[in-house]
Amino acid sequence: MKDINIVIEICGSAGEGTISAGEILSRFMSSQGYEIMSFDSYPAEIRGFGKCVAHTRISSSVINSPGKLADVLIALNDGHSISQLSALKKGGILIYDSQPAKPHEEDKSVLGWADPSVVSYGVPLAMLAQKAAGNLRGRNMVALGAIAALFDLDREGFTDSIKARYAKKKQIVIDSNVNSFLEGFDWTKDHIEKKDTFTFDGVSLEPRGEKLIINGNQLVAQAALDADLKFYAGYPITPATKIMEILSKELPGYGGTLLQTEDEISAIGAVVGAGYGGIRAMTATSGPGFALMTEFTGLSVMAEVPAVIVDSQRGGPSTGIPTKTEQSDFNAALYSGTGDCPRVVLAPTDTASCYDATVLGLYLAEKYQTLVVILLDFFLSNSIRNIDTPKKPGPQMLNANVNPTEEDLKDYKRYKFTDDGISPRAIPGTPGGISFYTGLEHDERGRPDYSDKGHLAMSEKRYRKHASVLKEAPAPVISDFDGDRADIGVISWGSSAGAAHEAVATAKKEGINAASFSSVMLYPFPDEALIEFAGRCDNILIPELNFQGQFADYAQGVIKREVTRLNFITGRPMAAEDILDKMREM
Amino acid sequence: MVEIQSKYLDEKLDQVRAMDFLQYRSGDLPTWCPGCGYFGIMDAFYKACRQMELKHENICTVSGIGCSGRTPIFINSYGFHTLHGRSIPVASGLKLARPDLTVFAVAGDGDALGIGGGHLPHVARKNIDITFILFDNSIYGLTKGQSSSTTPYEMKTNSHPVGNPDSPLNPIRLALSYGASFVARGYAGDPEGMKEVIMEGTKHPGFSFIQILTPCVTFDKSNRTWKNLKENVHPLRMSPEADNMETAMRAAENQPFGVGVFFKDKDRRSYQDILDGLNA
Repeated sequence: MKDINIVIEICGSAGEGTISAGEILSRFMSSQGYEIMSFDSYPAEIRGFGKCVAHTRISSSVINSPGKLADVLIALNDGHSISQLSALKKGGILIYDSQPAKPHEEDKSVLGWADPSVVSYGVPLAMLAQKAAGNLRGRNMVALGAIAALFDLDREGFTDSIKARYAKKKQIVIDSNVNSFLEGFDWTKDHIEKKDTFTFDGVSLEPRGEKLIINGNQLVAQAALDADLKFYAGYPITPATKIMEILSKELPGYGGTLLQTEDEISAIGAVVGAGYGGIRAMTATSGPGFALMTEFTGLSVMAEVPAVIVDSQRGGPSTGIPTKTEQSDFNAALYSGTGDCPRVVLAPTDTASCYDATVLGLYLAEKYQTLVVILLDFFLSNSIRNIDTPKKPGPQMLNANVNPTEEDLKDYKRYKFTDDGISPRAIPGTPGGISFYTGLEHDERGRPDYSDKGHLAMSEKRYRKHASVLKEAPAPVISDFDGDRADIGVISWGSSAGAAHEAVATAKKEGINAASFSSVMLYPFPDEALIEFAGRCDNILIPELNFQGQFADYAQGVIKREVTRLNFITGRPMAAEDILDKMREM
Repeated sequence: MVEIQSKYLDEKLDQVRAMDFLQYRSGDLPTWCPGCGYFGIMDAFYKACRQMELKHENICTVSGIGCSGRTPIFINSYGFHTLHGRSIPVASGLKLARPDLTVFAVAGDGDALGIGGGHLPHVARKNIDITFILFDNSIYGLTKGQSSSTTPYEMKTNSHPVGNPDSPLNPIRLALSYGASFVARGYAGDPEGMKEVIMEGTKHPGFSFIQILTPCVTFDKSNRTWKNLKENVHPLRMSPEADNMETAMRAAENQPFGVGVFFKDKDRRSYQDILDGLNA
């Protein structure tokens, strides 16, 4: 069967409906049986005329990265679209407004800046929107109509997707949008002759409706609810805010409490308080908030109180670039704070694994009585995929506290030394379990103990949890080797992993002997598997979205040899093409 | 260091155990300086617990850092010694997670009004049902005598050897203006009076703010000394109803040594109550 792979970008100004149009396109293509991955970029400001881009990759087979260049660019706004032309492939398609409400000066028209290889179609977006609904708001829908007509997509099915998107709006809003779409569709059918070779013909996919169209933030929230979260405290911050907003609606219905705090210090403090009280608690934030939470990361580990922090990374340091994606909190997640402080760090590698990582994080925090950091990034938080409904966690993932036995309670020691580092935890209110928790170094009963032997024994106990966690951590994902060895081994983490696995699969088809390794478990890291993998590869490539190569530094320390790094911080996610280009150079 | 394991201590402990209310005292001996006002606060605390017949395992005391930070270890109940300035956020999360527990938060003046000062307005306006006890000795004791947020203007301290240039905060006035629904003051030399305000604050369904005037016998030889406190402390001169904000504000201003309840809002609903109502 033919493999279809088309990237469509809609580019407009904030307020022009760019993102909504992208959403509807994704929803419709998913219903037709395609795999979709979409990602929007927008300015940090709410109002004004900032540039918005809705980027959607549509494929007939499984995809794991968003695609680097667009095949189709729909220009709702000429000014912004001129700068977006650099992301349009040679020979791609440009759809522009042929009769804008205010005529452009010649050098401000997107058509004038397009590469000569680009196939362009002029559609009178403004005129048709005016005709359909009496105002210009429906230009985005007219553009969707044009796309649907050009690619011969199902006119009625597309209409259903628009209706579904605006289902909660007034009838007049639904009608205006649908009419604008139909106006664009019919006009294009009547007036445009297709001159390009892009097509969705030639594949037969089963149309379906049951797939979830969802992003990482939504999945984190859903996973938390399914995994018995009972307390959430948070402070608004891009790109994590949506998690709090969803939970504020849903958590009370699940018998939980949501607290919006005065700052992130208070948020993690309340989470630690609730965790100490024996219920599952978490918070979500981004770099600047995580920085404030640092002092509590130490307390959670030292006092052995469960806490989960979701850090959706954005461009940094400091306030940085709030609406761009980056993977530059690796070091902060692993090493924030002072002292020797073993916590657990997980990083989901794609949208679906945001669910599993959240379930796992809440479980590990409770069982190991420690801090779990879950690293998302702006891309994972906001990019939309169509996925199967995740499987809900079973009871073994929901009741993880190691309760003290009657024997333990006869002479209860809160920080009892054990082989796996887990001391049975008496929840406040338990008769016989009265105990004292502290951030001071302490003995088995929690009493302050500053002796050299005591500090060493407790440090060893806390680090023993790492060995125990690793035993039940998800195994790294390793691609098949062609033979015993590979010329290039690509090691990746977080949202770059999808692109890395895809790049390796493509490289193999090109005849490059390559293999791929990624791990959701970042700390403790599956070092043994990493050493074994690296031992079978002549060259190692580590792609990641940060300037320093933070994970590459870690990996070099483990495998004790130089790796090739691919780092960029342009604010866009890693694409398979980026990694492929580097592999071809190597 | 010489191990303090003398016969005297054992005898003292036996005496302590024989006294009924001291069942709320843990087996650990306080590390505070001899003569410290905190011993009096603890006595009042134990007595209040005894009189309210609180179950040991249902009491949780959350502390920050400083001399007051050690408080939970001296109580025969669950306790959590957290971070500098952060007893309020932790206690808030704990109470909302476990409404069945009686949650106390304790902090010193540096802890509560300096480093942790940002949390006070919010726990007060939310009216989360915790009893907050401020051990106010107007000095940083554990770090040995630096100025705190309640150190008087021009007082000489180890961080301001020629005189404190900062004006002190008025904790009662702050608590009132933040909207605390129960505001009271006690004096470390009056365990009975403190016991009464601690009990009333604990029973109050909402955020209770209790300032305790207490000396630091080691690092303050001139200002808040036992002698000065004894001479100046007096019962509040206002209506015992304590239901008028204006009167309370005036008393906060004019009676810096007045002890008793300044203000209580009996009708105000606790945070848990409000949440339950909104989500019903």
